[in-house]
Amino acid sequence: MNLLDIRNLSIELESANNSILAVDRVSLSMKEGEVRGLVGESGSGKSLLAQALIGVLDERWNVHADRFHWRGKDLLRLAPDERKAIIAKDVAMIFQEPMSCLDPTATIGEQLEEAVDDGQLSGYFWQKRQQRQVAAANLLHKVGIKHHELCTKSYPHQLTEALCQRVMIAMALAGRPLLLIADEPTAAMESTNQGQIFRLLASLNQLKNMSILLISHDLETVTHWTNTITVMYSGQFVEAGTTEQIFNAPFHPYTRALVDSSPKANMQLPAKSRLMTLPGSIPILQHLPIGCRLGPRCPRAQQECVHAPKVTNYHGHQVSCHFSLKDTY
Amino acid sequence: MAREKIYQEEEFPTPLLQLWHNFRQNPIIMIGFGSFLFLILLAIFAPVLTPYSSVENHLDKLLLPPAWHKDGDVSFLLGTDNLGRDVLSRLMHGASLTFGLSIIVVLVSTIIGVVIGSLSALTTGIKSSFLNHFLDVILSIPSLLLAIVIVAILGPGLENTLWAIIMVLIPQFVHVTRNAVTEEFEKDYVLASRLDGANSLRILSYSIFPNIIEKIISQATLAQSAAILDIAALGFLGLGAPIPLPEWGSMLASSIDLFYIAPWTVYLPGLAILFSVIATNLVGEGMRHALKVRKES
Amino acid sequence: MLIFTIRRLNLLLFTLLLLTLLSFSLSYLFPGDPLVNMTGQAQATPEHLATLSSQYNFEQNIFKQYWAYLSHIANGDLGLSMASHLPISSEIMTLLPATIELSLVALAIAMMIGVPIGFIAAIKHKKAADNIILAFAMLGYSIPVFWLGLLAILVFSIQLGWLPSAGQISLLFEIEPVTGIQFIDILLSDSEYKWQAFKDASSHIILPACVVALAPATIFIRLARTAMMEVLETSYIRAANAKGLTFGQIIYRHAIRNALIKVIRHVGLQFANLVTIAMVTEVIFSWPGIGRWLIESIYQRDYTAIQGGLLALSSFIFFVHIVTDFVYAALNPLAREPHHGS
Repeated sequence: MNLLDIRNLSIELESANNSILAVDRVSLSMKEGEVRGLVGESGSGKSLLAQALIGVLDERWNVHADRFHWRGKDLLRLAPDERKAIIAKDVAMIFQEPMSCLDPTATIGEQLEEAVDDGQLSGYFWQKRQQRQVAAANLLHKVGIKHHELCTKSYPHQLTEALCQRVMIAMALAGRPLLLIADEPTAAMESTNQGQIFRLLASLNQLKNMSILLISHDLETVTHWTNTITVMYSGQFVEAGTTEQIFNAPFHPYTRALVDSSPKANMQLPAKSRLMTLPGSIPILQHLPIGCRLGPRCPRAQQECVHAPKVTNYHGHQVSCHFSLKDTY
Repeated sequence: MAREKIYQEEEFPTPLLQLWHNFRQNPIIMIGFGSFLFLILLAIFAPVLTPYSSVENHLDKLLLPPAWHKDGDVSFLLGTDNLGRDVLSRLMHGASLTFGLSIIVVLVSTIIGVVIGSLSALTTGIKSSFLNHFLDVILSIPSLLLAIVIVAILGPGLENTLWAIIMVLIPQFVHVTRNAVTEEFEKDYVLASRLDGANSLRILSYSIFPNIIEKIISQATLAQSAAILDIAALGFLGLGAPIPLPEWGSMLASSIDLFYIAPWTVYLPGLAILFSVIATNLVGEGMRHALKVRKES
Repeated sequence: MLIFTIRRLNLLLFTLLLLTLLSFSLSYLFPGDPLVNMTGQAQATPEHLATLSSQYNFEQNIFKQYWAYLSHIANGDLGLSMASHLPISSEIMTLLPATIELSLVALAIAMMIGVPIGFIAAIKHKKAADNIILAFAMLGYSIPVFWLGLLAILVFSIQLGWLPSAGQISLLFEIEPVTGIQFIDILLSDSEYKWQAFKDASSHIILPACVVALAPATIFIRLARTAMMEVLETSYIRAANAKGLTFGQIIYRHAIRNALIKVIRHVGLQFANLVTIAMVTEVIFSWPGIGRWLIESIYQRDYTAIQGGLLALSSFIFFVHIVTDFVYAALNPLAREPHHGS
């Protein structure tokens, strides 16, 4: 049974004159214990998708979907508050720039203790306070911070970004979530720290069987750490499949371009030759192309691409393209 | 017959037009703007428009109530005061004094304050920190006290009151300009200009100034309402315009004793001050809001 | 924290020094003889003038004169008032506490009313409550304070008769002026009518304090609204929302503290504005404070009094400014040490 099953999720922005479809019919599904990567350029709507999942978008955004199942339960019939309550119990999220996601005027200890679930404690309220502190210290140990006393007494601006991200992961773990959404967790860090955070996430996945949705713009790092990948472009679903399928045999021209632009693929190029890139840039929200949004940039585009392509499934490898590269393999 | 506009073009109005378009959106602000223009017209054309002169005594009609009262006379629309002067004419003349002078005061102090502020932002080191502390000291003196001190130095009279208020408003402009210029100086486009070889004066006038003009304008609108209130307050305390001049604050002061027998002489000048300050504040709010919306879109 | 305190004390001393420099230069700027302006002895005989002149170093250069002036101030001698011939320092000591009382009570009222209303306006942004609050704030900001005072006396004292219109306390009570602040004096005195005196003093202070507090309260409404709107847009509020906290918990635990910090920074600047309004209100309500005394001094051309009053009042305002700086640093951990790098 799928942990999360979303079909044709769309997010519209209501502005003064018209409504813009920021995310256009994206489908996503996750199993238990799976690490899925969600890859796309900035502006592709992946963060929006994650925020719509958690339910933190404000009233300007209009979210609707054909199917939204969590552990088999249909969430679309429920009111937004109930939906948010059910999701909040089992899903946690960490953001980029972790230092700005922590309250600058509260110590780390206070914020951690706030995240500890009240249901896991027992006893009178002075006992609960003690238990909360112990629980917070345990959470810090779980993310690899051994000396928790100094950490709990400090303020966020006194720690490094990597430490703050570990604290955010600790706070996310407090609710014992089944799914952790990591929205570009390492965007603000150096590569050594990035490796540490990814290793931590991988160990959490293995030890606790916790699913992770890893959102990133860097296809290559994502392929190291994930089982399956979904690729998005400009709010539309592009391709999804296992990591080997995506990296070794990308069906969609966009995925192909992403794979080709990674350093590993470019190592075979002769010296002083052009790097392989896709011309142009991602369209802005005010001027979205009709049909397949990659159309203006795609090397294989033809007249049929003004109609949005449907998703075709080849043994678990899903592609949304009229002229996919399947035939070339 | 050729059709001119076949393709749907997006029009990009100039920033000034954008500002005006944003400004026009809110109807209440347009009412305020209309009142503001009305007051300006009144201030300029008061001598022509008033039915009577502001100092003419009608000794047979002392303390007449306004026209809607049963004892009132429609030729004296808002009644007369204890010396028989028509309140309406005095209020209209007062517009040119309280309101008109406030605009002049704000213009002068804006120019002087911005010049001093930008020059002081260019200095660095001990001079700059000394100026900073000096500014802090001046800003911590209550504005009325500072105005009183300056009037004490210069002596009484309308002109000296104006200078006093100008000198009270200048430190606020210096403070705002200085902060804005120092903030802009840290930014990279100034560094780029400097690397191109521009000297400080050129950077100031070409690059920085158009970017800080919005903050200066919003400070000017705040200063305008403060100036009206200050001129009226000084007039009320007897330190402003001399007695026969129909400045709204001094009209209020001279009618305190008549409170019981002629309450309209107290209500009406106060309402006039309230009306002009609200109009100024509405225009100021509208301009600040329009600037903010223009920046965001 | 220690360095912060030292820097602030440094600033305080430097500013006080600048203030004395300013008031020293005033005796030259005011019309009349500088020596007479500084000492206040307008009717002194020539021999007395000569002794004064040597006391204040008037034959020597300007730095020595400034030094003499400073040493006189350090001894508590601010000269005599030209109008009443009493030492100015004693007049200030009697009158300043009343102004302190009025302005601090008004500041408390303005903050306690203005800040929560501003927060509510920010939370209900773009709804009807926000617009109503903004409209009311604009009205309160535009009313001239002297007119408001007159109207308040008319409505509350004369027509409704609820509150008295002048003075600090009814003349029937004889309270020993120990500190000058009425409420403390009442508690310290051993009169039998303490509770009635307290009630009477409260009823005397309510009307002037509310009149003074109106314009600053509307400014606080606006400041609090902007601060809270900025805080509600930040990443950590969004992260707390994603953490699963309810809206009320987020506001109470995180948003209020951060928004309050932003507001407190401005309290120091607003206090000078508040004291200006208090000065005019003192005249209308015959409140025995230093504002009313200063305004009367200018009617009587009492330059020494203006000098001394300026020094005393500005020092008080700056002192409050420093105190709010300390409160701000206590609440905001980021402001305590200077930041190097990132």
